[in-house]
Amino acid sequence: MSLVGATSRRLFLASLLRHRLATALSLLAIALGVALGLAVQLIHGAAIDEFGRGLRTLAGEADLQLVGPREGFDEAIYPMLAKRPEIAEASPVLRIEARLPGREDTLEILGVDMFRVARMQALLRPRADPALVDGDGRLAGLQPRNIFVSVDARARLELPSRLGNGEMAGPALRDGVLTVQSGVSGIELRLAGELPLSGAELAVMDIGGAQQMFGRIGVLSRIDLKLAPGLSPEAAGLALSPLLPPGLALQVPEAAAGEASALSRAYRVNLTMLAAIALLTGAFLVFSTQVLSVARRRREFALLRALGMERRQLLRGLLAEGAVLGLVGGVIGVALGHALAALAFRLVGGDLGAGFFRGSRPELQFDAMLAAGYLLLGGVAGVLGSWLPARAASQVAPARALRAGEAQYAGLPHMQGRLPLALLLAAGAGLACMLPPAGGIPLGGYAAVALSLMAAVLSLPALAQSLLPLLGRTRSVIWRLAHARLSATPGQAVVAAAGVVASVALASAMAIMVSSFRVSVDDWLAQVLPADLYVRASSSAASGYLDDDALARIAAVPGVASVDTTRLLNLRLSDEEPVFSLLARPVDGNWGLPLVAGSTGRPDGSKPGQSSLPPAWISEAAVDRLGLGVGDRLTLPLAGRQQSFVVAGVWRDYSRQYGAALIELADYRALTGDDRVNDAAIRLEEGTDAGAVADALNARFGPGRLIIALPGEIRATTLQIFDRTFLITYLMEAVTVMIGLFGIATTFAALAGTREGEFGMLRHLGFTRGEIGRLIAAEGALTAGFGVACGLLAGGAMAWILIEVVNRQSFHWSMDLAVPWAALVLFAAVLVSLAALVARLAGARAMRGSAVQAVKADW
Amino acid sequence: MVIRRAGQWSGIWRHFGADIARRSLCAFAAVIALLSCLPPEIHAQGSGSASAADGYPAVVPGRPLIFPDDFGAHPDYRTEWWYITGWLRDDAGAERGFQLTFFRVRTLIGEDNPSRFAPRQLILAHAAVADPANGRLLHAERSARAWPGLAGAATGRTDVEIDGWSLSMETGEGGETDGSSGDRYHSRIETEEFGFELRFDARRPPLPNGRQGFSQKAPDPLNASHYYSRPQLGVSGRLRLGSEILDVDGHAWLDHEWSSEILPQGARGWDWIGINLHDGGSLMLFQMRDGEGGAMWAAGTLADALGRARTFAPDEVRFEPVRHWTSARTGTRYPVEWRLHLADGRTLGLRPLMDDQELDSSASTGAVYWEGAVRLSEQAEDGSEREIGQGYLEMTGYAERLDM
Amino acid sequence: MLTAHALRKTLPGTPPRLLFDGLELQVAGGECVAIVGESGAGKSTLLNCLAGLEPFDGGHVELGGQRIGGLDDDAMARLRREAYGFVFQAFHILPHLSLAQNVALPLWLLKVDERQADQRARAMLARVGLEGRADDAPHTLSGGEMQRVAIARALIHAPKLVLADEPTGNLDPARAGEVLDLLLGQIRAGAAAGVLVTHSRLAAKRADRVLELGPQGLADVTERV
Repeated sequence: MSLVGATSRRLFLASLLRHRLATALSLLAIALGVALGLAVQLIHGAAIDEFGRGLRTLAGEADLQLVGPREGFDEAIYPMLAKRPEIAEASPVLRIEARLPGREDTLEILGVDMFRVARMQALLRPRADPALVDGDGRLAGLQPRNIFVSVDARARLELPSRLGNGEMAGPALRDGVLTVQSGVSGIELRLAGELPLSGAELAVMDIGGAQQMFGRIGVLSRIDLKLAPGLSPEAAGLALSPLLPPGLALQVPEAAAGEASALSRAYRVNLTMLAAIALLTGAFLVFSTQVLSVARRRREFALLRALGMERRQLLRGLLAEGAVLGLVGGVIGVALGHALAALAFRLVGGDLGAGFFRGSRPELQFDAMLAAGYLLLGGVAGVLGSWLPARAASQVAPARALRAGEAQYAGLPHMQGRLPLALLLAAGAGLACMLPPAGGIPLGGYAAVALSLMAAVLSLPALAQSLLPLLGRTRSVIWRLAHARLSATPGQAVVAAAGVVASVALASAMAIMVSSFRVSVDDWLAQVLPADLYVRASSSAASGYLDDDALARIAAVPGVASVDTTRLLNLRLSDEEPVFSLLARPVDGNWGLPLVAGSTGRPDGSKPGQSSLPPAWISEAAVDRLGLGVGDRLTLPLAGRQQSFVVAGVWRDYSRQYGAALIELADYRALTGDDRVNDAAIRLEEGTDAGAVADALNARFGPGRLIIALPGEIRATTLQIFDRTFLITYLMEAVTVMIGLFGIATTFAALAGTREGEFGMLRHLGFTRGEIGRLIAAEGALTAGFGVACGLLAGGAMAWILIEVVNRQSFHWSMDLAVPWAALVLFAAVLVSLAALVARLAGARAMRGSAVQAVKADW
Repeated sequence: MVIRRAGQWSGIWRHFGADIARRSLCAFAAVIALLSCLPPEIHAQGSGSASAADGYPAVVPGRPLIFPDDFGAHPDYRTEWWYITGWLRDDAGAERGFQLTFFRVRTLIGEDNPSRFAPRQLILAHAAVADPANGRLLHAERSARAWPGLAGAATGRTDVEIDGWSLSMETGEGGETDGSSGDRYHSRIETEEFGFELRFDARRPPLPNGRQGFSQKAPDPLNASHYYSRPQLGVSGRLRLGSEILDVDGHAWLDHEWSSEILPQGARGWDWIGINLHDGGSLMLFQMRDGEGGAMWAAGTLADALGRARTFAPDEVRFEPVRHWTSARTGTRYPVEWRLHLADGRTLGLRPLMDDQELDSSASTGAVYWEGAVRLSEQAEDGSEREIGQGYLEMTGYAERLDM
Repeated sequence: MLTAHALRKTLPGTPPRLLFDGLELQVAGGECVAIVGESGAGKSTLLNCLAGLEPFDGGHVELGGQRIGGLDDDAMARLRREAYGFVFQAFHILPHLSLAQNVALPLWLLKVDERQADQRARAMLARVGLEGRADDAPHTLSGGEMQRVAIARALIHAPKLVLADEPTGNLDPARAGEVLDLLLGQIRAGAAAGVLVTHSRLAAKRADRVLELGPQGLADVTERV
């Protein structure tokens, strides 16, 4: 055993050290693949952890939580539940996302019953500050204007904040007074103390005060429940669920974390897929390195075999090389992954810029299992990359390989005949596209992407062979030599360009998809924002809102022609799934509706508010989620009852991936009596300056009370957020493309070694050093050119899969194909030039070396 | 030390518990001992102010008690409690003491708030069992804002509840709760350690204390409460200790008191007894102690088996400590045996069912006081002692000093 | 055609080793000279000095009247592609080019028209006995055939000087004789000067002159072979 070990070390692993550049690049490729995957996982894991910790702070020892629409539900359920024998304690919570006038950040305020909190949610227990509550501290927790703010939140509130437009907004908390906004008016709350145990950024006040101050009389957001001893949450849920009004659900507190996780799952899976492709590209690179290394050592192996080394020993030795490469790369990758994650936290936050976990500040944590898993993945990539070359080497007949003058490329794979297999894989990809998603994850789509990639790599030689004759017409000897070389050894192209194919396919697919998405979003925004001015009191979930009085004041501003309003609610359709959005607004008015099916008219021709079944227009995501189509009946839990609607149309919605329905505002008001409004769309009279109207509105309502936006601004902001969301994917693409280029570099570095004789001969024949360099560059460019061409073709196919299958299934929205031709051409050109440069740099040894020695070398 | 701790309340219950204690004028009930952990500046400030000005109705003499209305809650007044103490005997003859108290507090907070969560009225409760076999008190507490069906105190009849704990009165024999004998109370308490479900049968009408139920607590007549007692309640029901359920019977004492006042100025603590006499009579005595431990006020009511009562003026009652017991838990020294000197010339002895009936809730509410079952005895002329009654003794203000 | 005068070469090292000094060599067009000597005498180095691939310390080399000592790397490369032909022991036939392409390679470098280059390469292949195999791939050839291709490549552009370093080193004696005859025949036919480094008697014997390399320079040993 130890003999084998020593042999391996001397014969195999030492080879890695001999070819340092190739080894280093393979290591780096694997390390990057591992690092990317791990970083995505770490960042997401930490974000989810942090989110979960936040939830635990809020939920305390609750066994179950009653949750409902985000806007809250009728408190009547509270005494009903509290009295049930299954329930030991019930703690009602009213959650307010308080808008801070003039500022863009918000404060999460929990209205709680201090008596209940004391027994269940210890982390929310406030401590009155004697200095702040002037003597009467015992009832401080009950005073309606008293608020207890966590240390972290207080630090933020006491500081000015920078607005999106670069201006500074003053502190929200000044001299012990916290100014928040309810509706369009400001409320002054008194800082009465802190939340000594809460690490999150939040504030607590009396629930009665919260209901009063924020105009939410009779409304709760959540009830935390502690169950009677010995009762399981499942059993309690079973007993209590039938008693709940529609739209309410009981869930274990962890489920909320699960919901948050589900919210970002599609995004995360996409990133993980990018990381997987990076790792796959790394494996291709190991493959390239090992193929060449094995080709170079053919005679060495033949000699070893002739000297009595077993076939299996040889195979094992070569696989060990790959494994060592993979594991060392894995170690570097794990370290790099942690560093990347830490960096990402600093720069873009725990949600990778996607906005799923706003306000959370996760901490990086080392997870030994996770790290070991990714380390292993690196090893597996190394072994997989070595498998084919190792097998090929072990099957070489010693006698033949030992013969002098055997062609130096005999060890390269012969991939000319793989076109049928490639076609088969492509067909498989087509079939995979038709599979339905598994658990919301478009597995079929991802399988199709992987199959397309493999098909592309396998069809590379065929593509090269069919394209090369078209490229041959030139007088340049360098070009002719490069051309001849590639024509004769397309296998080498596969080895060198497999990584390029994979990375270019990925990058171009993402580029096409993102471009299509962006163009579609832009069009969509233009459609949904036809008015001249949009006004809201706060973002939809926060405490600002508009009421009839405020609307009347808006309408009275000179220059305002018409005002249309939107009410946005988040409903809960089932216990497990994330919330469903409901928009109530006029269908034809100052808001556009980008219909993809149906019409804006009422199917039965009735008028709004009439007793016949009111119409609803549902988003594409809602179509997928609910399985409904135009003319079907839609049931929504509204005001504690199930209300039926008839689906009149389907519209495209990029802002709510879990589904939305739109109903007429008049119908909504008739059904619920809720006359609050989130947003108002204003159409101006001809020739009125929007800026002047905005100024007039600000003057009427007081500075900072209203958020006033021009459609252009909303569009700009939205696209900015869009670009930020995809920033991380651009970065990952760049890394993958870099790994692809490594493939070119390793191949050419290795080839430069095996081709010393050739280059020496050419020098004798009269090639200058520069011409040798140009020859290598031309070969690199040509190789990369085929890789890029193949990658672009595959990328186009993958983009189609991403748009039509992956996005459709994970985000439930459609988009129009928009290929960024100019960018792709530029990208391809840059990549080919880079490949030429990289090849030339990698092949520098061939130019530098002594031509005299080179021709002497036998092999 | 205490003051510093009091300044750093971390438990919300402590806010309210302490508040109740401070605002309870007549500090006979157990929870009121929480007074001892109040910061002195608050105490001093509170004690100086008059009640009526705070928005609460004043307690004035000459308002006769009217039943059944006065059995119920008086939500306008600042504080109110129903307090039952008594002795239980199981089938095996073992004797145990028990205590339960329901408080109502009007906060004057959110009176204009349409929210049902507005904390206008708070309900708090406390229960304890003294079991000599256990050697210490079992106790538990509840607190909540009033919410119909969950926590509240009804008007018109005794009916208080909080999170499943309840004390309610049942219509008497005549179909009306007119204050006659035959009234019946039910109480249900469930905690992890213990629980009881008891029925209390009134054998006679309510017994007003002081002047027609106007009970003065200090030299200043502003410090007063409306106060009646129901001694000699017959008890039957079941007591649960851990998982053991016992059929019990015995006798009990109910106090119902409401006021808008806070603790008298200069008071440090009090000693109170309510004793059911074996001859069918009853004896209630209390003294308010000042900072030096001297009596600044005292009063009492002695009734015979027929309900004929005699009240004692401050100078007609004297409490004399006889034996002290020091708690190993808190280091507090309590006079657990007393000699009582009454103006009618009698001298009575008071001995505890067990020494350790200290209620140490320093971990939760911070209050430390002694409240337990006691036997009352009379010394015959020959020097022999004879037990003449059983009841409850409450002693507060021993644990910590206010003037640190 | 080729003149080397007072050529001096030392190998770097401590102390530097003198290979030869005051070396004189003249080869006329159509003449083939074989250089023999012990291993390490500097035969290959002399060849490299003549090819301008290795610098020398003294003297000068002239080819067709042009001095090569003062040329820079690129100018020397350009001179090589016009005036030099090389035959290597290890053949150095490019495996990815056809035989005709391999032979045409020097013409490509000289920017000869592609079709003309092809025709000339085919003709040249016919002259070295590989008629009809112009489009074959190198790996179908035996070692002797491989060297025939190399000879064709060395002479296709009518160089002034053909340098061959152990051209038969990898061949069996029968093949070696054939190949050597071919090489010398072609050099003479092309009126080029030929310099052949070898330690094979058989090879030396076929040259017009045989010179032995020693520290004092070249000594004519034609008679002794």
